Amino acid sequence: MLAYIGRRALLAVFTVWAISVLSFVIIQLPPGDFVTSYIAQMATMGSVVTDEEAQNLRIQYGLGQPIYVQYFKWMRLIGQGNFGMSMEWRRPVTEVIGDRLWMTVVVSVAALFLTWVLALPIGIYSAVRQYSAGDYIATLVGFIGLAVPNFLLALVLLYLGFTLFNANIGGLFSVEFQDVPWSSARAWDLIKHLPIPAMILGLAGTAQQIRIMRANLLDELRKPYVVTARSKGLPESTVVLKYPVRVALNPFASTIGYTLPYIVSGSIIVSIVLGLPTVGPLLLKALVSQDMFLAGTIVLMLGVMTVIGTLISDILLVWVDPRIRLEDT
Amino acid sequence: MSDHWRTPRTRTLRSRLTIALVVGALSTAVAAGALAQIGKSTLIGKLEGPEVVTDPAKQPKTFNEAPQLAAQVKAGKLPPVAERVGQDPLVIKPLHEIGKYGGTWRRGFTGPADFWNGYRCCSGPDHLLFWDYTGDKITPNIAKGYEVQDGGKTLVLHLRRGMKWSDGKPFTADDFVFWFEDIYQNKDLVPTPSAAMAINGKQGVVEKVDTYTVKFKFPEPYYMFPDMLAGSTDVAGQAWRGAFGLGGYAPAHYLKQFHPKYAGQAEVDKKFKEAKFDSWVRMFLYKNDWSLNPELPVLSPWKTVTPANTPTWTLERNPYSVFVDTAGNQLPYIDRVVLTLAENLEVINLRALAGEYDFQARHLDIAKVPVFLENQQKGGYKLYLDPGDYGGDMIIKFNLSYEADPEIAKWMNTADFRRALSLGIDRDQINETFWLGTGTPGSVVPADTNKYNPGPEYRKLWATLDIKKANEMLDKAGLAKKDAEGYRLRTDGKGRLRIEIMTLGGQFVQFTQISEMIREHWKKIGIDLIVQEVDRSLALQRTAANEQQLGAWNNDGSEHLFTFPTHVFPFDTIAVVATSGPLYAKWFQSAGTQGKEPPARMKELMAKFRRAYGVPEKERIQLGKEVWKITAEEVYSIGIIGMGSASMGVRVVKTNMGNIPSRQYNSPDGKTPTISRPVTFFYKK
Repeated sequence: MLAYIGRRALLAVFTVWAISVLSFVIIQLPPGDFVTSYIAQMATMGSVVTDEEAQNLRIQYGLGQPIYVQYFKWMRLIGQGNFGMSMEWRRPVTEVIGDRLWMTVVVSVAALFLTWVLALPIGIYSAVRQYSAGDYIATLVGFIGLAVPNFLLALVLLYLGFTLFNANIGGLFSVEFQDVPWSSARAWDLIKHLPIPAMILGLAGTAQQIRIMRANLLDELRKPYVVTARSKGLPESTVVLKYPVRVALNPFASTIGYTLPYIVSGSIIVSIVLGLPTVGPLLLKALVSQDMFLAGTIVLMLGVMTVIGTLISDILLVWVDPRIRLEDT
Repeated sequence: MSDHWRTPRTRTLRSRLTIALVVGALSTAVAAGALAQIGKSTLIGKLEGPEVVTDPAKQPKTFNEAPQLAAQVKAGKLPPVAERVGQDPLVIKPLHEIGKYGGTWRRGFTGPADFWNGYRCCSGPDHLLFWDYTGDKITPNIAKGYEVQDGGKTLVLHLRRGMKWSDGKPFTADDFVFWFEDIYQNKDLVPTPSAAMAINGKQGVVEKVDTYTVKFKFPEPYYMFPDMLAGSTDVAGQAWRGAFGLGGYAPAHYLKQFHPKYAGQAEVDKKFKEAKFDSWVRMFLYKNDWSLNPELPVLSPWKTVTPANTPTWTLERNPYSVFVDTAGNQLPYIDRVVLTLAENLEVINLRALAGEYDFQARHLDIAKVPVFLENQQKGGYKLYLDPGDYGGDMIIKFNLSYEADPEIAKWMNTADFRRALSLGIDRDQINETFWLGTGTPGSVVPADTNKYNPGPEYRKLWATLDIKKANEMLDKAGLAKKDAEGYRLRTDGKGRLRIEIMTLGGQFVQFTQISEMIREHWKKIGIDLIVQEVDRSLALQRTAANEQQLGAWNNDGSEHLFTFPTHVFPFDTIAVVATSGPLYAKWFQSAGTQGKEPPARMKELMAKFRRAYGVPEKERIQLGKEVWKITAEEVYSIGIIGMGSASMGVRVVKTNMGNIPSRQYNSPDGKTPTISRPVTFFYKK
């Protein structure tokens, strides 16, 4: 088992390195560089950047150097725990991301929590009472949730919020709580702003999880061991919950690998629409403005999280499901 | 058949999100009705604004200050107000009345790249000279006065006696000398000298005469220089250009600690490493960044307290502000300005609708005017339109130095072809659909009131709808042959004459949608227009590579012809998302040593333009008019809708704010709303 974990970990390190190269290259792929996009941005805002200024900026940002030199410079910085300076924000990348990382985690965890709390019981119910009225309703609602793009839902809710309730639109805090230090009042303000984003983000996931849970459980419920348990006279709740549900949970363990990066990146489009101060809009902006160090760091972070997540789910699966055997132990 | 059929479209994610979803849902439902009732006249008011008082006899003798500053004076933390504003404060006569102190001005912004936002509202401006509210006349500003001497070769600036930086240290001629010798002439900080500091390619110098007098000297007459100080150029103050090592002056007493010449290389190296900068240069420029460094001593009426690269950009009153009103009250009236970060423009528009901003024009969408009108009561605000003085909220530029397809290049260089295309556009339909009838259809020339306007007859020159004439001109030019669908054929036998127009999405003006409408118009004159919306980086790359045929953009800024010529003729070699000829621009910038020689008429225009910088104003105005005449006659760009409000001219102001102009001069050079002097805005209750 230890050897297995060790081997996986080694592979993970290599994967992370490959991701760092790839993320750097991908960001360089679009035409131009940060200075071009800066100029374009200035131009679209009604000002002009002269040749001289553009030249000066390129020298300052070291953009004239070959790409591999820029990459090694970045790697050296990372070695020192410094992810570089964001060109657009002109602050260390770690600070820029740090501000938003926790907000992102809060929003995504809330969404995830909502998803699981809703999806698991409904999924179990739908399977046990297959083809009942409740099953049909759950399925219908689920499919609607799955089919409506969540950014559209966000737009509709924004508009309804504005016309019906004149609600504070977008963001995670009211203006007065925007930059004050943490307090119980500020936390309450955050909680008040959470339901809409959590609902929008969670809805599609909920539908999916309901379907997965239902299908898995239906498979299990027809197996002989369930019949045996039932014929032994065990109460129905024990019959269902003790074994089939546990087995049906397997796919959830294996999707943790995707869940981890999802916590950071899953909310990109919804965050943009709702104006949430999360990592998503930051990544989009950084990519559009070709802010290499910032975009590179976020992409790298997502990559690392996927790798770690996969590692965790592999280990978790081995642990949860005794049927999975390691070949060489 | 033509080989360049449609190339795949690239769109930014934002434009995809923005498209029509909210716009469509919100505005179309109420559009027609609301506007028809209110009409253009009530939305566009009279141009008005505060004035700078220059008569020493009218200077206030005693001074007042905001209550919190008075408390600090009482506590002994600040010197008295009369000492802080100095002997020659900058006196501004408010538009309507003397205001009251207090309040927070709430605005929305989109992040550090939206630097213009805070700069336009709150920098004062800190230019040495500035414009009066008509955007036409130069007035004293940070400098008390100026004289042009030596046949235009020298500009003498008189500073205000006793004026101070925001940390209480004196602002003197030494700050100019420090800027010039230790920043501007330092090759690490400013590797390439600025064109604004040069006439005919020859650099000028800065000299101290005495504590309160500075000279800018040039080897040749440079009568334009005062305009350069007033406009948005490299010598236009610390807020605008400090972060680039430019601006004309800098706080010497503060910045010396970050400069190797004064602090020593070893000390500066230690500092930048500790602060995690890549180099001392990056650190130095950051320290001189008005929007990012809260410690920086400034001259602006408000100063940054939480920087623009955080979720909220906050500015607070500068206790040493040199601005006062006619009653001697130190300005600004408003205590703080808070710009909150919005991740997208729809959120800004919705917040403005909900009355969450006090005064906002930036990022508001003209297509939403009906919705803004409908929610005036509920949101507690009033909607104003501020049309620009420039002739094109949208123009179409011909790339005159295009070479990739010789047939297209030939036609784009035929004046009658360009004129015919211009005659084939139904501007009224575009005006009604996209400007809700509030714009002015016509050529590219600026408003009739602009000093460089060549005459009212140029507004309609080649800029009316005349399909018959357009068809005749095209037939006569040699494009009489048509295919089965009625489109004109190329003369080289390679099929239909197809022309591409490049547009950008997600802008103040819906360039793509308008271009699609023009595509329909041009069907009637047998021209097949292909509309390509591209990402802005791709647009830049194509224009730089001379691959663009037509480009859609606006000509905002061109009302100040000589400080903002980019959209008038091929002037810049870079930095345009729509070009009128990169090779000609190169030829112009390199004084004929590079690029491609333009045709005679263009050369005539360029010569007039260049000459204008070195001649007195009267002669310059004449030359400016001639530049516009040639531009309109030759139709280098097609003007579509001008004097429109699409670009930052849709203004939402809370009804409890005072000294608000019913119409303000909308221009990048005027840094609107700064031209209306926001230091005089106040809250009535």
